[in-house]
Amino acid sequence: MITRAQLHQQNLKKIFYPDSVAIVGANKVAGTVPCDILMNILKADFNGIVFPVSPKEKFIAGVKAYKYVVDIQDEVDLAILVFPSSVCHMALEQCGQKGIKSAIIISAGFKEVGKDGLVLENQIKEIAVRYDMSFIGPNCLGVINTDPQSKINASFARRMPDEGSIAFLSQSGALCTAVLDYAYAKHIGFSKFISFGNKADISEIDLLYYLKDDPKTKVILMYLEEVTDGVALMEAAGKIITETRKPILILKAGRTSAGASAAASHTGSLAGSDEICDAAFRQAGIIRCENIEEMFNKAIAFAYQPIPKNNRVAIITNAGGPGVLTTDAVIRQGLHLAKLSEETTAILKKSLPKTANTNNPVDVIGDARADRYNIAMSAAFKDDNVDGVFVILTPQSMTDIDLIAREVAKVSSHYDKPVFTSFMGEADVAVGIDVLQRNKIPHYILPESMAVAFSTVYNFSQSVNHRTFNPIDIEETARVKANRILDSAISTGQKYLTENEATQILDFYGLPVIENGLAQSADEAVSLAVRFGFPIVMKVMSKDIVHKFDVGGVVLNIQSEQEARNAYMAIIENVHRKLPSAKIDGVMVRKMISVGEEVILGAKRDPSFGSVVMFGLGGIFVEVFKDVAFRIPPIGESVAKSMVESIKGYPLLSGVRGSNPRDVAGIVQCIRRLSQLVTDCPQIRELDINPLIVLDEGKGVFVADAKIML
Amino acid sequence: MEKVDIGERVKSVVAKVLKMNISEIADGANFVFDLGADSMQSLELVAGFEEEFGIEMDEDKALRIQTVEDAVLFIAGYLN
Repeated sequence: MITRAQLHQQNLKKIFYPDSVAIVGANKVAGTVPCDILMNILKADFNGIVFPVSPKEKFIAGVKAYKYVVDIQDEVDLAILVFPSSVCHMALEQCGQKGIKSAIIISAGFKEVGKDGLVLENQIKEIAVRYDMSFIGPNCLGVINTDPQSKINASFARRMPDEGSIAFLSQSGALCTAVLDYAYAKHIGFSKFISFGNKADISEIDLLYYLKDDPKTKVILMYLEEVTDGVALMEAAGKIITETRKPILILKAGRTSAGASAAASHTGSLAGSDEICDAAFRQAGIIRCENIEEMFNKAIAFAYQPIPKNNRVAIITNAGGPGVLTTDAVIRQGLHLAKLSEETTAILKKSLPKTANTNNPVDVIGDARADRYNIAMSAAFKDDNVDGVFVILTPQSMTDIDLIAREVAKVSSHYDKPVFTSFMGEADVAVGIDVLQRNKIPHYILPESMAVAFSTVYNFSQSVNHRTFNPIDIEETARVKANRILDSAISTGQKYLTENEATQILDFYGLPVIENGLAQSADEAVSLAVRFGFPIVMKVMSKDIVHKFDVGGVVLNIQSEQEARNAYMAIIENVHRKLPSAKIDGVMVRKMISVGEEVILGAKRDPSFGSVVMFGLGGIFVEVFKDVAFRIPPIGESVAKSMVESIKGYPLLSGVRGSNPRDVAGIVQCIRRLSQLVTDCPQIRELDINPLIVLDEGKGVFVADAKIML
Repeated sequence: MEKVDIGERVKSVVAKVLKMNISEIADGANFVFDLGADSMQSLELVAGFEEEFGIEMDEDKALRIQTVEDAVLFIAGYLN
């Protein structure tokens, strides 16, 4: 039985490569969507047959029109629906009857307008399922395929873009038109251009999988307003990147929208929806962009140039200042200025004026013309110490801008190393920029952007490796026992587990909890204290108390039997006084671990990504600096390790200024086990282990406190 | 007024606004899907019905009417 996702992959072929298209709801009125879409298809020289379907017209633009799609005798591969939303279901029903499996629904007036629109949207979804159809939209600009085999412009964009190797998908149709115009001005072409609108049927996930296998697509760009299924998105991205090495760049809107919950837990207050999204994208290898310009700056680097084998850059410039700026940017991006070989330096010294700088950056000086650029570039490209070349130009009176641009295109074409350019200025350099763009040489207004783009490509190439995930070994009984406690708590209306219950669950999953006991009298407390050994910690256990410190329910550093007795009685008295309604289950007694680094581990359920795990150093690092890292389960060994190493405070764990390294391996294991716990137990809404005490390397880690919210 | 009469008069308005023959207008015809009315013409139809029958209709409700049949029933409701 074929799944809906598999069906979409089949039907998407006819969306992008139809032999015949019916525009259902077409008309003759120029300037309207139903007319302009038909005209776009005809103007783009579509490689197939077009059937306008119009209730009123017998012909449109010289092409025979049909009253109903069922009147068309020939097979129709793709239907483009441009009727008003109120009758789209009727049109789609007829398409289904005709045996059409693929559709693009351009019409607006569905879910995005509210309840009434949602009803209409559900109607068309039901029809699509019934007829094994797939559709893109509704409420979209349409779809463009520049492949000469198809050349379909099934959209109401102003123009057909140039052919290229970049695929662009967008949830916003209006943004699509702006992007098309922007790209056209820069001679950036597309392989596929897709506005997916309300994604009522085919989603961005389906489109990603299609593009994974599209030989015309080298780079995938996406604009997203919401992440509906974050886990599926991460999985798709992971597969695409691992199997095809196609980079995925996403511009996701809504960075500043609220998402962090009220401070029920540290994790809850820190894990806003955008932080989670950020972490998830990074974990999946998705490159997140802040704006359209950045997205395309990086996209053209991927699409037009070979991947650098290493990160050593040669800078060729006719101006010292920009050369320095670029050098700063190179270093800031973690790249290296290539150390030119003696042979290269000798060539440059021999061929360039004495005033030229023959070290890197190579300054061919202000009066340089194309010949000097040729010499410098050729020498740099030939140098084995150089992995990529940056070419900077400032327009002096004698600078032959377009010739230099042609020289860049000519010289670089002989080498399998990337070249990036920055012809600084706007008016005079425009002619050169045009040459570069037409020759698919990445050009950037600011020289620093060359460094950003290069480092993005280089880092991506280094990070692409086959990610294997080995699940941690957890006994089945652990899952059963943990779920039993959680389900029981939920059934009694508990919002929080007691620390005792929480630590039990952590213990089932192999997280190292400090041995503890529950005392219900002062004598029991003393007896436990003696058993565990001083110093001791005591904490009140009550389903009615979340913040134990606030009610005087915690005593630390108890050093003797008498102190233990006094502490027990003080705790009981404090709670009775401050929260008389609280039902006390007892006082937890455990050994106090006073050495070690305090870290925080946490987890939170997320509507898009399922759950998220957080790690950070404790205390001020999390409270003030918010120096935390997030990852999405399942979390394997390497991801857990990278999570720990990614925080700014990591040197405190790895050993700094002569201090011993801490048990990072222990933290990594805890992260993995926590990841498995929250995957197995979706009842857990939020979880804090704060602190997890980390001793010296090899000496272990211990859960000192835990909260679980349901 | 009889529904048949209302129907004839509704169709004559439709034929005039949509510039088509009355014979092409079936009772169950959908204004948009079968007869090709665009949004401007939908407004013209409402105005046409109001003028033909001397009534003032709730525009929102009137614009939700999808077929000739439904229009007849809607107008009959005003007249009766």
